[in-house]
Amino acid sequence: MPAESISVIKLRGLLLVTVPPDPDDTTVSALQEKVLQAMVQHESRGLVLDISTVQTLDSFFARTVVETVQMVGLMGGRTVLAGMRANVAVTVTQLGLSIGNALTALDVDRAIELLDAEASKELRL
Amino acid sequence: MNDLPPGEFPIGSENDIVSARRIIRNAATALGFGLTDVTRIVTAASELTRNIYVHAKSGIMRWRSVHRGSGVGLELTFADNGPGIPDVAKALQVGYTTGTGLGMGLPGSKRLTDEMTIQSEVGRGTTIVVRKWLPT
Repeated sequence: MPAESISVIKLRGLLLVTVPPDPDDTTVSALQEKVLQAMVQHESRGLVLDISTVQTLDSFFARTVVETVQMVGLMGGRTVLAGMRANVAVTVTQLGLSIGNALTALDVDRAIELLDAEASKELRL
Repeated sequence: MNDLPPGEFPIGSENDIVSARRIIRNAATALGFGLTDVTRIVTAASELTRNIYVHAKSGIMRWRSVHRGSGVGLELTFADNGPGIPDVAKALQVGYTTGTGLGMGLPGSKRLTDEMTIQSEVGRGTTIVVRKWLPT
């Protein structure tokens, strides 16, 4: 799948990125770059990575996701990984990978709720 | 009943990693593995084909069904004529890497499959064989 086909949608101050089902390494790297550019361009406060169609999360892919979470964090944004499939979760865990300090949610809907809740928590502080 | 024609696929480009995943997904599904086992096998194949591409530039992946009594399994072989692994025991330690990776590919692939053998000679190449058995 070509990198151009990655969609980055701006939604209520957030970025919604749908990760393609079986991307090659170049597409995975391009995704990271595209996300970071969009974070700056749209001054987003958070990122939702929709990985609900992802079939294989190997160590290269997972490392890029973890790096992206860290980079978005340094830019002041929170990331939610949304919709990881059960079989992928089992495999990632057995592979020995940790997703770092990303938030997780069952689906995109809950991911947006989570980021909204985080934002209002920060307002109260 | 559970059988699969053997095959092979040369690895020589980054895109071949994606193709290898697709081939092994189809092979494991055809042999009767469930979704979680298919994902385990495909993830291991992804790690091991990437190792070929990154360390040896090119190599070959082979697959075939194997039998043990009434049990059926999938055997995958990843062979290259690359630089070889100087210390296999060390390469199987989590976090050990000679490149820019996480050092998880080899130990991770071992955990995701049932059997793994590594034959490697420095300067000659590496052959890694993994097997996953269908639950009986």
